[in-house]
Amino acid sequence: MRRFVRDNALSLFFLVAFLLAVVGQSVAGVADANADQLANGGSAVSWWQYVTSSDFAVDVAENWQSEYLQFLLFIVITVWLVQRGSPESKKPGEEGTGSDAEQKVGRHTVPGSPEWAGATGLRQTLYGNSLGLLMGAIFVLSWLAQAVAGTASYNRRQLSQLQDPVSLGGYVASPDFWNRTLQNWQSELLAVLSMVVLSIYLRQRGSPESKPVGTPHEETSTEN
Amino acid sequence: MNVRAVPVIALALTLGLSGCATEGKSAAERTVERFYTAVRDHDGQRACTLLAPEAVEGLRTGGEVCAKAVLGLDLPGGQVRETAVWGDEAQVRLTHDTVFLHRFPLGWLVRAAGCRSRGDLPYSCEVKT
Repeated sequence: MRRFVRDNALSLFFLVAFLLAVVGQSVAGVADANADQLANGGSAVSWWQYVTSSDFAVDVAENWQSEYLQFLLFIVITVWLVQRGSPESKKPGEEGTGSDAEQKVGRHTVPGSPEWAGATGLRQTLYGNSLGLLMGAIFVLSWLAQAVAGTASYNRRQLSQLQDPVSLGGYVASPDFWNRTLQNWQSELLAVLSMVVLSIYLRQRGSPESKPVGTPHEETSTEN
Repeated sequence: MNVRAVPVIALALTLGLSGCATEGKSAAERTVERFYTAVRDHDGQRACTLLAPEAVEGLRTGGEVCAKAVLGLDLPGGQVRETAVWGDEAQVRLTHDTVFLHRFPLGWLVRAAGCRSRGDLPYSCEVKT
């Protein structure tokens, strides 16, 4: 048990932190929603009613889609684009998907290679891109969920303000949808830019996301 | 993350919660029909029991009681043409009128009635919270 926890401490830390944050969001969210309801002459809702409401769903989904978009872009774009000096990048000249030998696929597999790495055709292509594909799928589904839940949440507010509801298409074309979407995208893109550029010049001793402290600034792709 | 978990999460979010609209629609329409029947029958007392508390308060301004004030309003009503339910809010469009309702713990009550569209602005209503 102790060994399992030590071997998986990073994943367990983020899992627990995620659960605490989402519970905290729901508690703060229901208080905020009830203050809004009472101010508009409505009635308070329970915690369960709130976490199964479109208001909570759209707030969760809009953040999920932007986070998964961030990782999707980071995973896929770094195949083709490099940043000299950044530990997050491959070295200049190494752009592209690499040879089969470098990627240990097909007849270049080694003992312990995943089964599908040794396959050919579609299975190898699917497995060779599975991280980006899954991140992309979660991004698309989260964005779709944001649109659907956002329509419901927006229409509830429209009706509470004595205004007409809109269709899903009308909502996707609305300023509310794009404001929610782009305010998340801009922060995620800035965070990636900061990570790529600052890690050229700054260090975090012991972190695999940083170059070793004494590594020259110009040295690319040297993580701890 | 387990690949199989993805569609389940997406479905949960997507179904998220648009709610059981059909059940809410007919219940909201019944409240509207009972409200306009009471107004037509000149039964202000009954009409006011179908109004949200803040709408009743709004009709009390000027010292008049709700039961009397509600009968003096321009509430043309008509047949139900279209109903939209989103969460605990509903809009029922009638032939000559539009009504907004809120779902309280004991059921739907009228928040605004005798409403006329003003384009992108909030409806202008005879009764409202």
